[in-house]
Amino acid sequence: MTNDIAISLPEQRPRQTARRLLADAGESLAPAQGPRSLYIHLPFCAHKCHYCDFYSIVDRQDRQLAFTQRLQRELLAQAPLAAPLESIFVGGGTPTLLAPALWTDLLTTLDRAFDLSPIRSGQGEFSVECNPETATPELFDVLVAGGVNRISIGAQSFNTNHLHTLERRHDPANVARSVELARGAGIGRQSVDLIFAVPGQSLEEWTGDLERAIGLGTEHLSCYALTYEPNTAMTARLERDEFIRADEDLEADMYELTVERLRAQGLDRYEVSNYARPGRECAHNMAYWRQHDWLAAGPSASGHVAGHRWKNTPRLDDYLSIDDEGFAPIIEHEPPDGRRAMRERIMTGIRLREGLEIDVVCAAAERVAPGARRRLETSAAWHKEVGLLIERDRRWVLTDAGFLMGDRVASDLMDALA
Amino acid sequence: MTDVQIRNFSIIAHIDHGKSTLADRLLQATHAVSDREAKAQLLDSMDLERERGITIKASSVTVPHVHKGQQYMLNFIDTPGHVDFSYEVSRALKACEGAILVVDASQGVEAQTVVNAYLAIEQDLEIIPVLNKIDLPAARPDEIAMEVEQALGLPAEDCISVSAKTGQGIPELLDAICERLPSPRKPVTDKTRALIFDAIYDDYRGVIIYIRVFDGVLRVGEKIHMMGLGRTFQITELGKYMPKPVKVKELGPGETGYLVAAIKTLGDVRVGDTITRDLDPADEALEGYAPPNQMVFCDFYPATSDDGKTPDFEEMRDAMDRLALNDASYTYQAVHSEALGFGFRCGFLGLLHMDIIQERLEREGKLSVVQTAPTVSYKVLRRTKGGETELIEVHNPGDLPDPSTILEIREPICRVEVMTPVDKIGEVMKLSLERRGTYKSQTHISETRQLLTFEIPLAELIYDFYDKLKGLTSGYGTMDYEISGYHADNLVKVDILITGEPVEALALIAHKDRAAARGKLLLGRLRKVIDRHNFEIPLQAAIGGKIIARETIKAFRKDVTAKCYGGDVSRKRKLLDKQKKGKEKMKSIGSVNIPQKAFMAVLDSGE
Ligand SMILES: Nc1nc2c(ncn2[C@@H]2O[C@H](COP(=O)(O)OP(=O)(O)OP(=O)(O)O)[C@@H](O)[C@H]2O)c(=O)[nH]1
Ligand code: SF4
Ligand SMILES: [Mg+2]
Repeated sequence: MTNDIAISLPEQRPRQTARRLLADAGESLAPAQGPRSLYIHLPFCAHKCHYCDFYSIVDRQDRQLAFTQRLQRELLAQAPLAAPLESIFVGGGTPTLLAPALWTDLLTTLDRAFDLSPIRSGQGEFSVECNPETATPELFDVLVAGGVNRISIGAQSFNTNHLHTLERRHDPANVARSVELARGAGIGRQSVDLIFAVPGQSLEEWTGDLERAIGLGTEHLSCYALTYEPNTAMTARLERDEFIRADEDLEADMYELTVERLRAQGLDRYEVSNYARPGRECAHNMAYWRQHDWLAAGPSASGHVAGHRWKNTPRLDDYLSIDDEGFAPIIEHEPPDGRRAMRERIMTGIRLREGLEIDVVCAAAERVAPGARRRLETSAAWHKEVGLLIERDRRWVLTDAGFLMGDRVASDLMDALA
Repeated sequence: MTDVQIRNFSIIAHIDHGKSTLADRLLQATHAVSDREAKAQLLDSMDLERERGITIKASSVTVPHVHKGQQYMLNFIDTPGHVDFSYEVSRALKACEGAILVVDASQGVEAQTVVNAYLAIEQDLEIIPVLNKIDLPAARPDEIAMEVEQALGLPAEDCISVSAKTGQGIPELLDAICERLPSPRKPVTDKTRALIFDAIYDDYRGVIIYIRVFDGVLRVGEKIHMMGLGRTFQITELGKYMPKPVKVKELGPGETGYLVAAIKTLGDVRVGDTITRDLDPADEALEGYAPPNQMVFCDFYPATSDDGKTPDFEEMRDAMDRLALNDASYTYQAVHSEALGFGFRCGFLGLLHMDIIQERLEREGKLSVVQTAPTVSYKVLRRTKGGETELIEVHNPGDLPDPSTILEIREPICRVEVMTPVDKIGEVMKLSLERRGTYKSQTHISETRQLLTFEIPLAELIYDFYDKLKGLTSGYGTMDYEISGYHADNLVKVDILITGEPVEALALIAHKDRAAARGKLLLGRLRKVIDRHNFEIPLQAAIGGKIIARETIKAFRKDVTAKCYGGDVSRKRKLLDKQKKGKEKMKSIGSVNIPQKAFMAVLDSGE
């Protein structure tokens, strides 16, 4: 019924490619200090979900081959920069929509171009996002053969009404089926994604979703409060008053309930929206949040190497047609900037259970911004005073209340480096 | 000169009925501008006029015309249609013998049509009713001609049908102007007397005065005397707008034109004053008119703009001074507010005028300002320390004296004309009653429409009265108002307290019986626009220390982004940086950040 909502993609045309910046980055990297993580974006989806602001296009099956070939060229171009890979994450889009034969090509290239030994040995992590509808034994066998050892299943909700509100098309029963399939195929680690604070959702309904997810017995759960991203159908519908967004108090109650309920199940919050059994945190995402380096391939993928941040073009046409020795066209590039890097480190680090190492962060901040140490300490003291922050093992760590106010604390601490 | 006949007339109408477009056609038909030069609403020369498609300032032009072998000089003034600028209409009419009353043939007679027509009738002007827009399929010229007769007593057969768009009927209109409008009256004295009917400020030449000569002659180089203000200047230039300025050596009886005399500020000129020759002055001034009164007031304070810049007080004063050069009808005065710092209290003719000044300040002065909710000008009768009584004028609730000394508060009352479809009369009555209005009379316009007259306090009009009227008449209702006097009513000051602190800039004056409801409404709106904080914020409305309404803004519970992955880092960092700027853009009361729009919350429509 509401499929007719037009979403405008930013009309940014790429002017450069990632070749130069990666060459610069490569020069400033110490030997064997290359990125140990890789993100790959597969842009195809069967249908556009209304809350989604990921770059994805509705798959007509006609560009998968051209895309996979182009992606392999990009991977080959980037590979010389990488250290042995400790984590790979394939996201989308809907990666499981890619034909198994093309998956085989892709995985073969990965194996050839990169050193996957940490992953093969079981130390490293290789995750693929999975849509419950498109999981098949055949595909999973291909993935396992290629080294995939973790899947992240987009369940979002088990309630058909709420799935409908999100314009998400799958049968909730397929979530359990996907988990079973993965286990059967030998993909030992699974995660399930859920969304709460969907318009019209009650606290009881959310508890129900949570219990169903817990019942699957996975080692990892991600629970996101529904976010109204700009330029999404969901936001357009909200602005047209098609529904009322969840009340802030209800959203906070849902969040608190989630933390408590999962903690009781041994799934501890290790980031604002992520919960895992001890040692089962998502290593790839931890690399993001600790501001490690990672390579990135595929349309709209964003990478971070030696202080450079860049983002590939989100437009499939540009991605396919512009090929600079394999490197992809980019629409954003931020060159290294010490203060910016520190602000980012604080911003993502404070969202973690492990928090920020006070001495390390203060010393690094002082180096790029004289006086930053004092400002950080003053700000932290204030947040401690109001109960949002505590000091634990010489780290600044958010309290339960602090996690709910994470952005405020982050932005305040970041001001120390403004 | 003697064989040229002069016609002085104004074009008047309800807003948007096509005055300016009709003026374009007259210019074109008389070849004053070439077809190529004729852009739409040529006389609307201000940027703001062009953007908004409305006329703000009246402009006067002179064009030559030949009718049946006779030379004519047509001087005409395009006037603004919006209520706020009706004083411009009245003074334009003073310079004329005739008026073209434009009525949109698809809309019919509207509130403003009636009011403007009466202004013209009061001044004994000859009126030519013109039915415009007959090219529109919805045009009903015959019916509308009947409305003109019913509502204004002008014979239906006197109406001329035209289309200012296609030019149809324009020749007939020109004929009527020459044949039906009277010549200027004969001079009654040989001394020179000219009426100042407008003045504008020009960056290069200083003040340019628009005049209509009634008696005698004005010549370049002569010394002139302003009879009201008593000042003397020397004429450096005389001319006519045709529509480009064309210099002339002299202006004689019946003529209209402009005068430049090295006058530096608009303050040196009073519209309505009479100019005479310094050497041979007239004994008596022409009948002038009082300058318009500022009826709506609000404060402007410096605000931080998106680029993080806050103008200082001096920059604001400069901008205010510059605007005053161009617009003598708004007033300003420095004020200080606890919550907002130093700023200016400004007086306007009406709400649109206020809007326009704010926009010009921001645009021409490149300032960003916080504007407080508008209030009206009250007269307060109070007892002084010595036991005497005195009447003071108060433009802001914050300036009310100690309540124990107040004997009564008087407020401006308007005579309001509302044109409404007959089936909505009940609702219009109800609306004006809700706004403390009294019904006065009713005039039959046509089978389907009636003109209702009410008396309503101005303070009730400046909130969303017009929007409400438009809403409940599906856009068909129109209104006009004029201040008819001051009445005392049971008015009280309602204080608004945030975390227990009274915020003067939010205080309001309301009728005692409705104060609690008004207070509650305002608190409800404030609750929506003030963000949650880390602590609970009580909002209260009080009359003299007695709390009459309260609301609470709950403490923040959640301020955290759900997702922050590799691709989100740059965007999220920028977002947080922007939020920080946003924080600065707020004004804080105690430790509560109050967004600028809160100060306009009093104004918002909707219950
Ligand atoms: N179809 C048609 N449209 C017309 C005609 N005359 C004016 N208009 C349109 O009506 C609108 C208002 O015209 P204006 O000439 O600006 O009206 P106005 O009376 O000067 O308006 P204010 O100065 O704001 O009071 C414009 O969009 C004109 O293009 C006409 O004869 N036919
Ligand atoms: S949420 Fe996932 S499946 Fe849905 S449109 Fe976005 S990327 Fe595709
Ligand atoms: Mg106009």
